[in-house]
Amino acid sequence: MGERPGDRRFPGRPQPAGIEIEAHAGYQPGDDLRHLDWSALGRLDVLLVRRYTAEREILFHLLVDTSASMGCPAGDRKLAAAAELAVALAYVALSSNDAVRVALLGETPRLSRIHRQRASIGEIAELVAGAVASGAVVLGPAVEGYVRRHPRPGVAIVVSDLMVEPADVECAVHVLRARRFEVLLLHVLGPHDLEPALDPARNVLRDVESGAIRAVAATPATRARYREALGEHLGALETIAARTASAYARLVTTQPVYDFVTTDLARLGIVTRR
Amino acid sequence: MGFGVLQPAGAVALAAVGVLVALYFFGRSRREALVPSLLLWRAVPGRTVRPRRFRPDVLFLAQLLLLLALVGGLVRPYVEHGAEPGERVRLVLVLDVSASMQVRERDGARFELARRRARALVAQLLGGDEVMLVAAAERPHVVLRWTTDHGAAQGRLEALEAGDTPGDLTPAVELALGEVRARPETQVTVLTDVPPGASGVSAERLAAIDWVQIGRTDDNVAIAGVTVDRAAFRPTADATATVLVRNYAHASKHVGLEVRVGDALWARRDVAVEARGTTPVLLAHPPAWGMVTARLTDGDAFPLDDEAWAWLPDDDRLDVLLVTGSDVLAAGFHDLAGVVGGSRVERVDPADYAAAARGAGAAVFDGIAPPAAIPALYVRPPPGDGPCRSEGTVDDAAVVDWDADHPALRGLEALETVVVRRAYRLATPERATPAALAATERGAFPFLVLAERDGRREACLGADLDEAFDSSDGLPLLMLVLDTLRWLEEPALAAPLVVETGVAAPAPPGVVAGEGAGVRVAGDPPLVRADRVGVHHLGDRLVLANLFDDRESDIGRDGGGEWPATAKPLAGPTRGAREFGWWLYLAAAVLLAIEWTLWLRGVRTGHT
Repeated sequence: MGERPGDRRFPGRPQPAGIEIEAHAGYQPGDDLRHLDWSALGRLDVLLVRRYTAEREILFHLLVDTSASMGCPAGDRKLAAAAELAVALAYVALSSNDAVRVALLGETPRLSRIHRQRASIGEIAELVAGAVASGAVVLGPAVEGYVRRHPRPGVAIVVSDLMVEPADVECAVHVLRARRFEVLLLHVLGPHDLEPALDPARNVLRDVESGAIRAVAATPATRARYREALGEHLGALETIAARTASAYARLVTTQPVYDFVTTDLARLGIVTRR
Repeated sequence: MGFGVLQPAGAVALAAVGVLVALYFFGRSRREALVPSLLLWRAVPGRTVRPRRFRPDVLFLAQLLLLLALVGGLVRPYVEHGAEPGERVRLVLVLDVSASMQVRERDGARFELARRRARALVAQLLGGDEVMLVAAAERPHVVLRWTTDHGAAQGRLEALEAGDTPGDLTPAVELALGEVRARPETQVTVLTDVPPGASGVSAERLAAIDWVQIGRTDDNVAIAGVTVDRAAFRPTADATATVLVRNYAHASKHVGLEVRVGDALWARRDVAVEARGTTPVLLAHPPAWGMVTARLTDGDAFPLDDEAWAWLPDDDRLDVLLVTGSDVLAAGFHDLAGVVGGSRVERVDPADYAAAARGAGAAVFDGIAPPAAIPALYVRPPPGDGPCRSEGTVDDAAVVDWDADHPALRGLEALETVVVRRAYRLATPERATPAALAATERGAFPFLVLAERDGRREACLGADLDEAFDSSDGLPLLMLVLDTLRWLEEPALAAPLVVETGVAAPAPPGVVAGEGAGVRVAGDPPLVRADRVGVHHLGDRLVLANLFDDRESDIGRDGGGEWPATAKPLAGPTRGAREFGWWLYLAAAVLLAIEWTLWLRGVRTGHT
């Protein structure tokens, strides 16, 4: 639950002031007499004060992966889609009077201040638009470093291609969950991640982040085996999300971000239509 | 049985093997593609890339064999078997070995090109085929008689070389055509730089000949002649030489000319010669006497005629024993001796001749003809049996003809003005030559007879020399006498012989039959014939051999090419041969199927 008053209601955690009555509690000396329930006193001859549903602002942590893999292959525009998605979600959050902080997890991490005004969306957009895909990012330690510096809980939205070991993703989710963050994994994939374009003239693959190489043959058998490995990887991510009570959604860059937000995320209840 | 190919140019396709190997290494080389992560690729079987090691797999070997089979089919290989008796070939190869075949063309000397072609023709012959080689020089030479030994023919061809002599192709071609007449199946191939139209063989006879003309260049400037001119009994310093520089090319040229006498430089000139023109270069005041060497210093395609030699003799001295009873004659000779420096004239009476003969350069017998031990000039000889005799006298005779090339008369141009009041009709003894003829209304007769006997020269003159000293009208006769005396006194054993290659010249006295390097003496009377241009030694005597021949030096040829025989076609190159190129194509098709299978298997297993 947030620290600052806001529009987001948190049922189950009644507070002395508010709008919507959630419960009653026995009067204690010092309680505000304005909240004393005079009706209950007349009927039951018991001093009860009204408790209200807590309303707080939510701080959205938009953690955007800007590692080199987000820019590879360049035609997939994964980083651009991630940036667009982050701006869209920030806009939605600011429109809901929630706060937003954007962190770029890359070779040179960049961090925004906490934005609460919808007018700040331009500043956010400028920040993410300046992101450059470079360097290697290990998701677990990067997220852990972030929450150590900014422990105020909220909703952590991780936007990444998640081209890491599922165990590393799980580690990152656990780190967030341990600090009472709600976690939303937004998986950005390019079309070539789904169906790699193997060039027979280029027989060695180089990992853009680690520099490791692997020689493969451009054959239908290789493609089939890749698709199989991709399915296993996606399945593992979905399993982790379910196991850690995190939300998981997948965006393929060929899909418009607007459609993704208004359709896929709405279906998951992450955003609501008004 | 042997193997051969009909299309050797197809071997160029072997370069495709290099391409295949390059593709192999290209396939083995590391060419990287960037991926976001190798996370998912770890599940894909990898393969090893070794760019530097050549370890061909079965697929590569199949491709290589396929390629070799295709190239093998392309060159059209065949297996050769001996020719059947009915289809055997008889081939006469006529090779022009004249001097012009030494001309250097862009691809080599003309003769080398001809030889290469001839060797290829011999190599095409099958077992049982006969070949005959004829070299066409100034006369035809059968280098190799009919033989089935093709190795021997190749050996003879390799040993052949072009000569320095002018050639005459016609007799050699006639010889080859004679073989055709004897055996109609005979094929004749002529390899020359002469076009068929200039061969002297009629067109209908040419139809039976494969004529291969080689050579095109006309880049030749030649020394077409060297003439040394020195009047009798004049000093050497008064001599002149004329060098004819002829340009046989169709473009004007500048050439350097260097003339030496012995080792001393006489002149060095830059000579401009018009296209197809001649420039005479006159040289005077020689630095010495001796061998004159003229040389063109700028190279051309035909170096053989770029150098020529001549002889400039030492000063003449009149050393005469005059045997006469005429005071007029004696006074005249004494006057002559006073004019020619270092001369000596001794007069004796005919009765005292035997005692005075020793020591003189020549003797002049006036009215008598005794045998002499020294060179002798017999003037108005008497009838009888002597070495020189007359057959009567005639009045008012004039010289009408003479041998201008004879050394005794060379340079004399005024003999036609020699008119004598009384002439003696000379007999021509054995081994004597009438060098000048005089005539009256009743006919011509020998007027000057020259001979060489046992290394000693003799001359008979049918004139009364008193007339020569009477007046200036006798001057031409006097010049004739002086030239004859110069010839008589010439040191016969020391004077070089200047000849042209391939042209026989009378051998000087004392030269016996034999053969030296580049020069031969044969025949009776002996004739000298030089085979090579240059300075040769024939015993103690020098022979200066030049190539002064327009036909050989005019090396430019229009057109060129080949004129196959139209009368009877050559047997095809596949005669007696069985091609097996299609079998190689079949093997290539099988290999292609194997390779395809291997590739498909590799695709399925992911190991391509």
